[in-house]
Amino acid sequence: MLRIENLTKIYPNGTRALHDVSFEVQDGEFLVVIGLSGSGKSTLLRCINRLIEPTSGKIFWDDIDITAASPAELRHIRRHIGMVFQQFNLVKRSSVMTNVLSGRLGYANPWLSLLGIWPAADKEMALKALERVGIADKAQSRADALSGGQQQRVGIARALMQDPKIILADEPVASLDPVLSHSILQYLEQLNKDGLTVICSLHFLDLVHRYATRVIALKDGVKVFEGLPKEIDRAKFKEIYGEEAQEVRAASFEAEA
Amino acid sequence: MKKNLAPIARLFWNALGIAILVFLFGASYRVTQIDFPRLVRDAYKARDFVMAFLSPDVVTRDVETTVIEMNFPVPCGSAPEAEMPDSGPRLVTNVPCAEARQTFILEGFDLLPNSEVNVSWLLPTGGTLRIGRVTTDEDGHFLIEVEVRPITAAQDGVPSRITAETLVPVGPLKPSQALLDVMREMFVTIFMALLSTTIATIIAAPLSFLAASNITKRGVLGTAVYYIARSFFNFIRSFEPLVMASVFAFWLGYGPFAGSLALTVVTTASLGKLFSEAVESIDSGPIEAIQATGANRLQTVLYAVVPQIVPDFISFIVYHWDINVRISTIIGFVGGGGIGYYLNEQINSMVGYHRAGTAIWAIIIVVWALDFLSAEVRKRLT
Ligand SMILES: Nc1ncnc2c1ncn2[C@@H]1O[C@H](COP(=O)(O)OP(=O)(O)OP(=O)(O)O)[C@@H](O)[C@H]1O
Ligand SMILES: [Mg+2]
Repeated sequence: MLRIENLTKIYPNGTRALHDVSFEVQDGEFLVVIGLSGSGKSTLLRCINRLIEPTSGKIFWDDIDITAASPAELRHIRRHIGMVFQQFNLVKRSSVMTNVLSGRLGYANPWLSLLGIWPAADKEMALKALERVGIADKAQSRADALSGGQQQRVGIARALMQDPKIILADEPVASLDPVLSHSILQYLEQLNKDGLTVICSLHFLDLVHRYATRVIALKDGVKVFEGLPKEIDRAKFKEIYGEEAQEVRAASFEAEA
Repeated sequence: MKKNLAPIARLFWNALGIAILVFLFGASYRVTQIDFPRLVRDAYKARDFVMAFLSPDVVTRDVETTVIEMNFPVPCGSAPEAEMPDSGPRLVTNVPCAEARQTFILEGFDLLPNSEVNVSWLLPTGGTLRIGRVTTDEDGHFLIEVEVRPITAAQDGVPSRITAETLVPVGPLKPSQALLDVMREMFVTIFMALLSTTIATIIAAPLSFLAASNITKRGVLGTAVYYIARSFFNFIRSFEPLVMASVFAFWLGYGPFAGSLALTVVTTASLGKLFSEAVESIDSGPIEAIQATGANRLQTVLYAVVPQIVPDFISFIVYHWDINVRISTIIGFVGGGGIGYYLNEQINSMVGYHRAGTAIWAIIIVVWALDFLSAEVRKRLT
C-alpha cells in the first residue's frame, strides 16, 4: 500500500505544483490521475520515486518512508518502481536490448554494468520482456529506428526488468494514436491483473473509464476528486477541467458514453 | 520646438560619428604604413619565393658519371699527341697540341644530349684544374674555349689530359632529402597535434561533466564543484596558443615538447567548453528514466548521458585534431618544433626556398586531407 500524506511541491521559481495532496493506493489498483495540463500530474508521479524532491509531506510504501530514504535506500526502493514516460525516454542511439537491460541497472554489479557486461540471465530476462510486449525481433535495432508505439513497448519492457511492484506511467499514450493507446494500456492492464499496482496519468476520459479502477483528479496542484471512474459526471467534470474546457471535453465524453 | 530640434541634433550626432570614423580610419591607415605602389614595385622580391614554391624540392635521382678523356700535350712535342676518333662519344680539339697561354677550341660529340658536363684538366701530378661546366645540345654536342695555363705542361713525357664527366640521372625518381625531411617534420606536427588532442581529451572529458550544470549543479557541494570546473576552463581559455607556445619554449627550450604542451593547454580549454555545452544540451528524458530504475550516478552517466554525447565528442575531437595541425604549424614558427619550425628555418636560410616550397605544399595537402577527413567523420556521426 502506498500512502501519500500532505504532499506539497513548490519549485524553486515559486510555482506551487502540488498543494497538500493526500491519498492512498491499495496494492493491485489501477489508479488514474487526471487533470488539466499544468495541474501537477507529472510532479505528483515523480515525487513518488523522488525524481523530484517533495517540498513537504510524506510518502509511505507499506512501512517504508520513501521521503526519508537515504540515497542508497532510495535506489533500492526505486528498483521496485517501474516508470513509463510520455516521451518514452529511451536512449535513442543505444540498441533496444541495451535500453531494456538498463532497467536492470539497480540490480546489476555496478562495475560489470559500467563495462557493459551483463549476466546471461539478465539478457534472457530482457528477451522475455521484449517477447511479452511483442517486439523480440527488434532487440538489436537502434531505439530510434522504432515507431512510437514500439518505443513505448520498449519502455514497458525496461520497466519490467525492474521486477516492479508499482508502475508509474506518466501519460504513457499521449504521444500515440488511439489504436496504439489501447494496445499500450492493455499491456499495463495485463500487468495490473498480474498483481502490479499501476499509477497512470491520462488525458482522455474514454481511456480513464476503460482502464481505471479508481481516479484522482488534480487542479492547480490540489486534489479535487477521488473516487470511481463512473462517479465522474458532468458536474465533477466541470469542476476538474473548468468552464472553458468543458465543451470540448464533454463532447468527446458524450460521444464516447 | 522639440520636433524641430531633433533632426538637427541627429544631424549633429551623425556628423560627429562620421568624423570620428574618418579620423580613426585615417589614423589606422597611417599606423599600418600602407603603401600600395610597393605591392607592385617590390613584386620581384616575392618572385624568387613564388618560383621556388611552384617548383618544390620533391624528387631526385641517382647520378651516374661517364668520363671520356684525351691526351693534350703542352707544349707541342712534349708528349705524343692524342688520336682523335671519328665516332662514338669523343673529344675533339681544333689543334692537336698547344703552347701555354694559347687558346683553343674544345668540342664534344655524341655525348648524352641535354646533359651537364664537367670539363677539367687532369694534370700529370694527379691534380685537377677545372675548365668549366657546359650543357650539351640535343645532338650531344658542346663547344668550349679553353685557355692553356702553364701548369698544364707535360712532365717527363706524360701529358695532361682533358676529361669530360657527363652527369646522367639514372634509376627511378626517388624522394629528395627535403621531401624526407618535410615528411618527417610533418609527422612530428601531426603527432604533436594528435598527442595534445588526446591528452586534452583525457583531461577535458571528465572535467566537462563537472562543468555541466545539468549533471553537477546539485546541492551545495555540486554547485561548488560546478563553478570550480567552469572557472578552471575559463581561466585556461584566456591563454592564446602563441603566447603559451612562447612561454613553454622559453621554459623547456625550442622543440615539439614545448609546442605540444602549449597545444594541450589550449585544446583542453576549448574542448572543455565544447564538451560541457554538449553535455548540457542532451535530452534529460533518458537520465530520469535511468535514475528511476535505481541506477547510481555513474551508471546513469554511462547509460543515459554518454551514448547521447559520443558523436558530438568524437566530432569535436577530430575537428580539434584538424585545427591543431594548423596551429602547431604556426606554433612551430615560434619554436614549437615540427613542420612550422622547419619552414621557418628554410625561409630564413635564403637558399632553402625550394625546401620551403616543399614544406608549404605538404602543409596544404595535409590540412586539406585532414579537413576532408574530419568533415567525413562528422558526416558519418549523425
Ligand atoms: N522544473 C520546473 N520548474 C518550475 N516549474 C515547473 C517545473 N516543472 C513543472 N513546473 C510547473 O509546475 C506545474 C505542474 O507541472 P506538471 O508538469 O506537474 O503538470 P502536468 O499536470 O504534468 O501537466 P501536463 O499535462 O502538461 O504534463 C506547472 O505549472 C508547471 O509549469
Ligand atoms: Mg505532465
